[in-house]
Amino acid sequence: MNATPTPLDFRPFGESTPRPGNPVKSIHVDPKGAQDSVYVRATDFSIFYGRAEAVCKVNIDIYAGLVTAIIGPSGCGKSTFLRSINRMNDLIPSCKTSGQLLFDGVDVYDRRLDVTVLRKKAGMVFQKPNPFPKSIFDNIAYGPRLHGVKSQAQLAEIVEQSLLQAALWDEVKDRLSANALGLSGGQQQRLCIARALAVNPDILLMDEPTSALDPNATSRIEELISELRGKYTIIIVTHNMQQAARVSDYTAFLYEGALIEYGETRQIFTNPTRKHTEDYITGRFG
Amino acid sequence: MNSSDHANPLKISSDRLILSARANLTQKIMAWVGQAFLFFVASVAATAVLFIIFYIARDAIPFFRLRGFQEFFGSTRWYPSGSPPVFGALAIIFGSGLVTVGAIVVTAPLGLSAAMCLSDILPFSVRQAIKPIVEILAAIPSVAYGFFALVVLAPLLQEDGGPILAVTWYIVALPSLTIGIIMASDLLTFRITTEKKRSMARRLLALGLFAIALPLVVFTGQILFQLKITTGTNALNVSFILGIMALPTVVSVSEDALQAVGRELREGSYALGATRAETIIQTVMPAASSGILAALLLGVMRALGETMVVWMASGNAAQIPTPWFNYLEPIRTLTATIAGDMGEADHVTGSARYHVLFAMGFLLLLLCFVCNMLSEWVVSRQQKKLRGEV
Amino acid sequence: MRISTRKLLDRSFSSVGVISIALMGLILLVILVPIFRKGIGALVFEATVEHRRLILDNFDHGDDLELAAEIKSAREARQPVYEMVQAFESRQQAKIDSLRPDLETLAERDDSMGRLVARRLKRLGPDEDFLEQVETIQQLVPRLREYGDGDDAPKEIAAISSGITRITSQTLAFAELKEVLYDLLGPAPGEPMPQLTRKQYGQTRWEKARETIDHLFFIERWDYSGPGMGTLVREPRVEQFRETEIEPLFAYVEGHAEAMLQPRWTLYWGFLTDKPLDSHIFGGIYPELIGTIYLTLGAILFAVPIGIIAAIYFTEYAKAGRLISFLRACVSTLAGVPSIVFGMFGLAFFLNVWQLPKGVLAGSLTLALLILPVIIRASEEAIRSVPHTYREAALSLGAGRWRTIVTVILPAALPGILTGIVISMGRAAGETAPIIFTAAASVAAPLSLNPLQAWDQPTAALSWNIYNLCTEHEAADEIRHVQFGMVAVLITVVLALNLFAIILRARIAKKLKG
Ligand SMILES: Nc1ncnc2c1ncn2[C@@H]1O[C@H](COP(=O)(O)OP(=O)(O)O)[C@@H](O)[C@H]1O
Ligand SMILES: [Mg+2]
Repeated sequence: MNATPTPLDFRPFGESTPRPGNPVKSIHVDPKGAQDSVYVRATDFSIFYGRAEAVCKVNIDIYAGLVTAIIGPSGCGKSTFLRSINRMNDLIPSCKTSGQLLFDGVDVYDRRLDVTVLRKKAGMVFQKPNPFPKSIFDNIAYGPRLHGVKSQAQLAEIVEQSLLQAALWDEVKDRLSANALGLSGGQQQRLCIARALAVNPDILLMDEPTSALDPNATSRIEELISELRGKYTIIIVTHNMQQAARVSDYTAFLYEGALIEYGETRQIFTNPTRKHTEDYITGRFG
Repeated sequence: MNSSDHANPLKISSDRLILSARANLTQKIMAWVGQAFLFFVASVAATAVLFIIFYIARDAIPFFRLRGFQEFFGSTRWYPSGSPPVFGALAIIFGSGLVTVGAIVVTAPLGLSAAMCLSDILPFSVRQAIKPIVEILAAIPSVAYGFFALVVLAPLLQEDGGPILAVTWYIVALPSLTIGIIMASDLLTFRITTEKKRSMARRLLALGLFAIALPLVVFTGQILFQLKITTGTNALNVSFILGIMALPTVVSVSEDALQAVGRELREGSYALGATRAETIIQTVMPAASSGILAALLLGVMRALGETMVVWMASGNAAQIPTPWFNYLEPIRTLTATIAGDMGEADHVTGSARYHVLFAMGFLLLLLCFVCNMLSEWVVSRQQKKLRGEV
Repeated sequence: MRISTRKLLDRSFSSVGVISIALMGLILLVILVPIFRKGIGALVFEATVEHRRLILDNFDHGDDLELAAEIKSAREARQPVYEMVQAFESRQQAKIDSLRPDLETLAERDDSMGRLVARRLKRLGPDEDFLEQVETIQQLVPRLREYGDGDDAPKEIAAISSGITRITSQTLAFAELKEVLYDLLGPAPGEPMPQLTRKQYGQTRWEKARETIDHLFFIERWDYSGPGMGTLVREPRVEQFRETEIEPLFAYVEGHAEAMLQPRWTLYWGFLTDKPLDSHIFGGIYPELIGTIYLTLGAILFAVPIGIIAAIYFTEYAKAGRLISFLRACVSTLAGVPSIVFGMFGLAFFLNVWQLPKGVLAGSLTLALLILPVIIRASEEAIRSVPHTYREAALSLGAGRWRTIVTVILPAALPGILTGIVISMGRAAGETAPIIFTAAASVAAPLSLNPLQAWDQPTAALSWNIYNLCTEHEAADEIRHVQFGMVAVLITVVLALNLFAIILRARIAKKLKG
């Protein structure tokens, strides 16, 4: 990964003044005083693949309505942690957890939990854009249909709203019935975001959503994240530190499965308390 | 926290993360029932083969109860409708073996060299163009092959069998003889150190060998040329057609095995200065040997189990040819006997005549089962080897 | 070894490989070309007026007015032939009649000989068939000889005997000629219509008619007098009829064969849609075609749902374990069971245990078992090759496992599954051994198009009837064109299905590339 230039620039590429819709520094949430605005809380939470511990004893509070970035070198357990929040790890038979992970106050690994509802509340965006090989409309309508929306008018409404929110509407409104695989990579990724938004989630989990995209598409996604900020709780995994710095309010640094440091983005990037974090963000390793 | 300003009309009544105990139970039961249904269907499909084995065995056992093993495996006299009937299947089992061996003799050299050519010699685009040939050969129904054997090939063999065999012999023997002699004379003069002397000796030796071998080849060719074939529906005809039918399997499975050997091994050999032929024969073939063996076993299975071709074109004579390797005589196989005799036998379910056919079917099933197991075992061993576990 | 020897070996090695592939292609051509060339002959051929008459009489296709005109002109062309035959016959009749006085003298005798001759005399006369009269007298002569062989024998006997010998020598040749003419033209006008369809018409195919004409012109026989196998001798038939009324017949036929039979190139679609007549000597292969379609679709109907469900279970649900690997081994063993054993199982289980009648249902079930492993494997592979990301996307939107499979994975795997289905359709259509005991009938009415009426009927099928026609048919050599036609149709069906599969697969490959 590229060495990060210091001092860090918090503004998106090519913008000299902060935009009104991107008030990174204007919201301040006190970690201690805001108990009810904690949306995800991990307590001594560990994840194992068979014997190997991929995430160990993580304690973290993720705040509602904010953008939280998880950074760390490749293989440190970022995706593993993210995927445990909507229990996508269930797909891997060897994957086990210990400790507690609360989602909106509910234990994610409670045996009575309805995974379907959990996943509906937690939309996910993957590293590589993965639209279904269906039309654009059907891609977005997939989730709502799944959850029982049948009326065509309602579906059309949802599709339009979701595409508008994902800033894709203008580009695709004339070809909603075209195959989604015909879109460009950046458009596909925004389509995936729109698809995730269409089921009306509370939280968006993004696993390196821009790592497969070119810089232009990347900045559009970043803008989009800034626009969605405040409406959704967003967790974004990235190993592009500039990106974390640009889009997030809070940043967590994971290293070899352990949470090394967590705090406001500005503080992490300007004044990290741990030596490890500093080494990482200044590009000494990773 | 929820985006209430968001115009999404999606409303979900059961938007509660924790299910009630009851809903949880229903969900679990539903999932279990669904999965049990899938498992049931899958296991019915899979265990069909056990049913087959069971029902064939069930009708085969009464035969051995009635008549014992001695006659079936020991006698060549097959008179199921005589009085008293005789059920000696030895000649028929022998016939099956004979055509299977014949088929492998046809298919192995052809199939293996084709597979090697496909995997190592031809460029990718040509290979893609050739694949359909193999696929079409595999797709042609067996009755069509049988028809060809009976209506086209058999008269041809009967009329001009001798000349055809002779020409085939010359085409195969002359080039291989030439190459063999060149190689042998080179190898035998290896010890001579002076370059001039050696080259001289090599040439003399080659000439000498040629002088000895050529008359032999021509003599054999002449004998073949004079051969009179009394009937075109014989073991040779059937073996040839069965060999062709087994080709697609042999080619595609052994090609896969050759491809699986991987680049590194080949490059290592080329790096030592080996030619392509040497690389393939000395390095790739041994590494792929088990896959090739599996391919041949599958070919054996195909030939052994084939019915229509042998029924139509083997002559159906329940006899061991004289001499036993005489491929120009009609023979009879297990499959053809089952197909041909069941019509007369199935009216009298319960008679030895009916059950003897099931005994043959069971034998066939057993042989194919063994071939199948062997080939799977061989392949899994190779895979383990490639992964470095053995 | 020397470098040059090694290079030579290398080169010959490569050429052996290339040659063996070329040989494979060649073999394919050698098999397919004659089958298709002759098979097309069943559909496209020079049909004579007899063919058109047959088609109109039996299947009601064709234009009756046009045909009537054709028949009329053909009849006119044939008329001289019949006249020549007639003239010859009446002269022979006259010769027979010349024996009459002697016979009548004998008949007047008052002993058993006289009574015998009197009885036989009743069978003679201008109204009776001339060939039969000759035969009657021929049989009479030796018996007359028995009565009186000595010197006291009536002198009429010797006269009759020498007279009939003279007549007979030409009569035998004439009978043969008449038979060949019958083969060529069918019953003469005024002759009673025979029962067998094959006897009601002359040659329907021009190439066969030409063969028959050749038989008319030349007598073929084998001469074994020399050493070895004997040689074929062809003698012009006209030699036997020198200076008779028949002599000009040969020249006439040579000149007017086309007018007599009116050959015309015809595309006979009826080969696919007509019933066979008189055990496939005429007509089409409709019952075989419909039977094959029924059996194939039936097999697909049973095998596809089970196969796909099993594939879903194995790929999506089964956890690695002993039971599962046992089940997998079972599937692979099933794939290796010889097809005739499936047939035996069908007989032992579906017919004897389940008491199903021999027919479409039992045959379809047996074929379904045969193609089940093909479908399971193809579907498994297709499902496995669906990108994992689709599954993740669906699950992350809150779809359950089953919903994910039905709404995302199966649609994405569909082309691959279809490929497997299409290939196994080809397999089911071509298989013979499994249906011999469970469904096949050599002669059967075409199945009803209503499955509820057809399911328990034994049926003809292309694969089975190819076997049947070329090994068990009474006139297998005469109907080669039908056999070739059937094989060509079967191979066309199977190859078309496979081609479709290849195209499908190419499209999937393209799609995966994006
Ligand atoms: N399916 C799996 N099975 C076993 N180990 C896994 C699996 N997925 C990831 N791991 C291991 O877990 C660790 C964390 O992986 P991951 O969460 O993907 O890292 P990151 O996303 O930070 O690059 C890595 O060491 C990886 O090898
Ligand atoms: Mg990752």
